Amino acid sequence: MKGLVRFAVNWRNWPPFLLVSLFVFVALAAPLLAPPEDPNHPSDARIVEGYTDPAPAPPDENVVLGTVAYYSLGALGDANMLHFDVFYSLVWGTRSILRFGLITAFGAATIGVLMGAVSSYVGGALDALLMRVTDAFLAFPVIAGVWLFQTLMQTAGMRLTDYTNFSWVTVPETWFQRWVSAWDIDPVMLALIAFSWMAYARIINVNISVLKQTEYVAAARSLGAGNLRIIFRHLVPNAIAPIIVLLARDVGGMVVQQAAFAFIGVSGTVNSTAIPEWSRLLMLGRNWVIGQWGNPFVHWWVYIPVTLALILFGVGWNMLGDRLNVLLNPREVVK
Amino acid sequence: MKFIRFLLRRLLFMLVTLVFITAMLYGIMMLAPVEARAILYMPRSDYGQGSQQLIQEIIEEKGLDDPYPVQYVRWAVNLLRGDWGWSPSMRDDVLPALIRRTPVTAELTLYSVLLYIPLGLASGVWAGWKRRRFADYGFRLVAFIATSIPPFILGLVLLAIFYVGLHWFPIGRLAMSNKMIVDSPEFRTITGLLTVDGLLNSRLDITLDALRHLVLPVFTLSLTHWATLGRVTRASMIEELDKEYVTAARGRGLSVQWTVWRHALSNALLPALNSSALSAASLITGVFVIEVIFALPGISELFSISAVDAFSLVPDISATMGFALYGVLFVLPLMFVLDVIQAIVDPRIREGGLK
Repeated sequence: MKGLVRFAVNWRNWPPFLLVSLFVFVALAAPLLAPPEDPNHPSDARIVEGYTDPAPAPPDENVVLGTVAYYSLGALGDANMLHFDVFYSLVWGTRSILRFGLITAFGAATIGVLMGAVSSYVGGALDALLMRVTDAFLAFPVIAGVWLFQTLMQTAGMRLTDYTNFSWVTVPETWFQRWVSAWDIDPVMLALIAFSWMAYARIINVNISVLKQTEYVAAARSLGAGNLRIIFRHLVPNAIAPIIVLLARDVGGMVVQQAAFAFIGVSGTVNSTAIPEWSRLLMLGRNWVIGQWGNPFVHWWVYIPVTLALILFGVGWNMLGDRLNVLLNPREVVK
Repeated sequence: MKFIRFLLRRLLFMLVTLVFITAMLYGIMMLAPVEARAILYMPRSDYGQGSQQLIQEIIEEKGLDDPYPVQYVRWAVNLLRGDWGWSPSMRDDVLPALIRRTPVTAELTLYSVLLYIPLGLASGVWAGWKRRRFADYGFRLVAFIATSIPPFILGLVLLAIFYVGLHWFPIGRLAMSNKMIVDSPEFRTITGLLTVDGLLNSRLDITLDALRHLVLPVFTLSLTHWATLGRVTRASMIEELDKEYVTAARGRGLSVQWTVWRHALSNALLPALNSSALSAASLITGVFVIEVIFALPGISELFSISAVDAFSLVPDISATMGFALYGVLFVLPLMFVLDVIQAIVDPRIREGGLK
């Protein structure tokens, strides 16, 4: 409560707070801002009828922010132009982007905190081993991990030719592939969690190594507290402040990274259901950014709204992290 | 002597890291069906057409149903022999394909590191020293903007303005006429880095042309990392300047410049250098993203090719694994160099007193 008051009285805390709340508000109010056709089963994207041009359609009374076109090849080889409503995708995409950022950041933080806490509390050889593992992970570029999981999921439902009777044989899926597709998990999310928990582990490790020497831990142990109780009741809560700061920054950072991967084409095809709607907008719009005679504003609605949304999302969470840092670690902050 | 021991320890760590990461990569790939892993041993002619008979033969011949350690060792031995598999989507051997594309990636990485580390350290120290003055506020504003704009968007905007609009900085590696000179037999390729080779062949025009092509990608890549590094340096500089030994030094009559230069600077550089060593992998990730956007034919071509070839029936496991391993091979030397610089600045690390 006191913390909340302290947060509210400083005007510097308001811009990040308002930015983040704006996105949460849009996500919650999506059905009001962009009414879906079927309120019971709202989809993340709306296909607008009546546009057949291959170029994105400019904003008009029908679509507030224009459309992006997707040239889809039907099952029978018939081609048709699908026009997605940019405004609709932007609004409903806020939900998936928030979900993506929060799940990824929390996932990475959970793994990191567990690794760091266990290794530093046990100490000795296990500590050395786990921290070397952490360092080894630090040498692994995330983009390789994204492609790795992407390929892994591509092999699900792989088909092989059987030349004896000229038919297809579908390779059975492994437990992992079944699990990922059953939960509809984005492989990019999986890769980002698996390869960006190291910062959390290192911070928690250093903090707990210092904290476990303190007297109150000895006091707790002499009162009969078990290892798990000491770790999660006494050590982690006292070492968690920098983790919260990093977490807030990561929510934005992960989303921006994910968008970059989608943009350069490592995170799967446009058809993939797991890709957040904003990234799909970027993927569909990327060929229309530079228009005729190099004018980047010919098809501005294709990329400027979603880019601005991404930048604001990143900046909002990043600034929130900075302000939480001031609030939680007042000693470390240099003004 | 202790410095040599430090170097040996770092090299040993690199080796252990490689073993660990290859083991992890193969472990992750074990999550794919065994038929998919057979692609790692696909014969070179049979591109993309995985027939069931062929795959079954490979599985039996290579023992892909064996327990994990056996399979991993067999794969690792193949890697050491230089057999990284055959990529169906590139129709090419993976390792030679990677090696051929290395100079492009190396050149981009090299120039970015040479640009952003000195500039980041310098501007961080400057801003920290001039705290709450005009220079400091200016730096913080620019750094804030630089970290806010995602590099892939910045790259695109720069392309629109300077390539398509003004024709100042083209994409790719070289102009077409110069590319023909470089590919001709008279031009000796020594390092593969076009800027260096141009000088070695006494063709200054080629060096200048290569540099001109590098301006936009290097700038885009460096900007974010410069801002992050500058911020860390600034914070640690301020922390150092607030310490009592600085006050004491000044109390003894030493000039402000001398105090900063002799005492605070080297202490303040350490956290900054450490943070850039830790973010070496994210720099390499950034390199790959930038390569795709500026159409540089570097290592990232592996996934831009196989992404285009989305209709290939067989997922390209060899290329994926090769790319991941090669990416690590790119990060490790970078981390090593930054660690050595740290050790040169800080005797505690050099003497092994600090982990």
